[in-house]
Amino acid sequence: MQNLVAFLIRFRVFLGFLGLQLLCFVLYFQFVTYPTTVFMTTASDINGALLERKKNLYAYFHLMETNRTLQIENAQLRGVALDNYYRLQRPEFYKNDTLYQQYFNYIPAEIIRASSDQRNNYFTLNAGKAQGLKKGMGVISPHGVVGVVYKVGERYSLVKSILTSDINLDVIIGKKEIRGLLKWNGINAKIGSITGVSRDVVVPRWSEVRTQGATGIFPKGLLIGKVLTKRSMEDQSLWDIDVLFKEDLKNIHTVYVIRSLIADELETLQKDIPLETQNRP
Amino acid sequence: MKSLIRFAILFFVFLFAQVFLARNLDFGYGMQLFLLPLFIMLLPFDTGVFMLMLLGFILGILADSLMNSYGLNASSLVLFAYLRPAVFTLFLPKEGYDNLKDPTLSDMGWRWFVLTYGLLLSIYLSWFFFLEVFRISEWFLLLRNTFMSFVVSFLVALVSQLFFRKRLVS
Repeated sequence: MQNLVAFLIRFRVFLGFLGLQLLCFVLYFQFVTYPTTVFMTTASDINGALLERKKNLYAYFHLMETNRTLQIENAQLRGVALDNYYRLQRPEFYKNDTLYQQYFNYIPAEIIRASSDQRNNYFTLNAGKAQGLKKGMGVISPHGVVGVVYKVGERYSLVKSILTSDINLDVIIGKKEIRGLLKWNGINAKIGSITGVSRDVVVPRWSEVRTQGATGIFPKGLLIGKVLTKRSMEDQSLWDIDVLFKEDLKNIHTVYVIRSLIADELETLQKDIPLETQNRP
Repeated sequence: MKSLIRFAILFFVFLFAQVFLARNLDFGYGMQLFLLPLFIMLLPFDTGVFMLMLLGFILGILADSLMNSYGLNASSLVLFAYLRPAVFTLFLPKEGYDNLKDPTLSDMGWRWFVLTYGLLLSIYLSWFFFLEVFRISEWFLLLRNTFMSFVVSFLVALVSQLFFRKRLVS
């Protein structure tokens, strides 16, 4: 017992250091492994409110830019609205809801905090549970895909940006719709990388990279970027493809959160797959 | 008592400068401006190592919760605080440390400040980016971020020391 006390006294500084470091790592793993806790993140109410004030101040600096993008988008949307089309063939029977079913809703939100220079980057949005956000929803900007909702607070939420190492987004490349997996290597915020494309597939430069839409989070065919370069991976017969992002992820201010109306259906369908067949290669 | 209030104000100045100013600067090429270690550096010579570590932890956790870096800053600041007394002993001047002086550029001179803060900051940044990347295979990213952030953080620390020379002399 005496030895133990002597040991504790002797190494008290180091033990204090160790204890505090342990606490830091606990917080880190809490953030990584328990996505439902918003305590001590920017999705919590106190921090969110603080950052919202900051955003209100900074928002004036990019009003022109935001306005311009919204105007362009408005013009595009007006262009595709059905009112603008003259119906050439007049069908005798036409019932809208048997032909079209709405798959996706869009919830507008503003980014109140963003980063692009960390290894794993997150956005904070000023929308949360109250606006109907849920974990796993897709987030897009007028120019392309931005990320996936990661944590949801009462009024604020945290979005895992596509600038994270394990975003693993399903993408398709070019007109042939070659399937790949989007990742980020942390070096340049303008460039992402795609893995999982076999080396015997021809991938032309500047072919467009779009979302695959397989998981039902994003609609199919949303633009992400264009193929910049490709290298052959060492010791694997795969391409390592660099993608130039369409969206400038350092300068986004307004985004849309995609609420999928079919995600639940997909999930319940996939639940019915027996476990044995899932594990079979 | 006067210095206690001064450091309490300084605590929040550093916190908000880091979160609302430094994090919004976008230099590119992996450059990030770190101001928080300078606060731990500037605490008086007679501050105990437990007090240093505790302050580093609280400052780091507050900054982390506002920057989504989940414990990275806290862990690095605790390491910085833990190593501060050891590094101060390493660069001990001949006459020892005078408790009436502060560990600032104007009190301790260029040579001492550059050596001490340079060593501590490089350890701090190496630890920070090692924890953040946590993969030896991404050594290029690790080295680039550490080096570039060191350059910008160190220069800003020196410049701020020149600017606020008067205010820090009590």
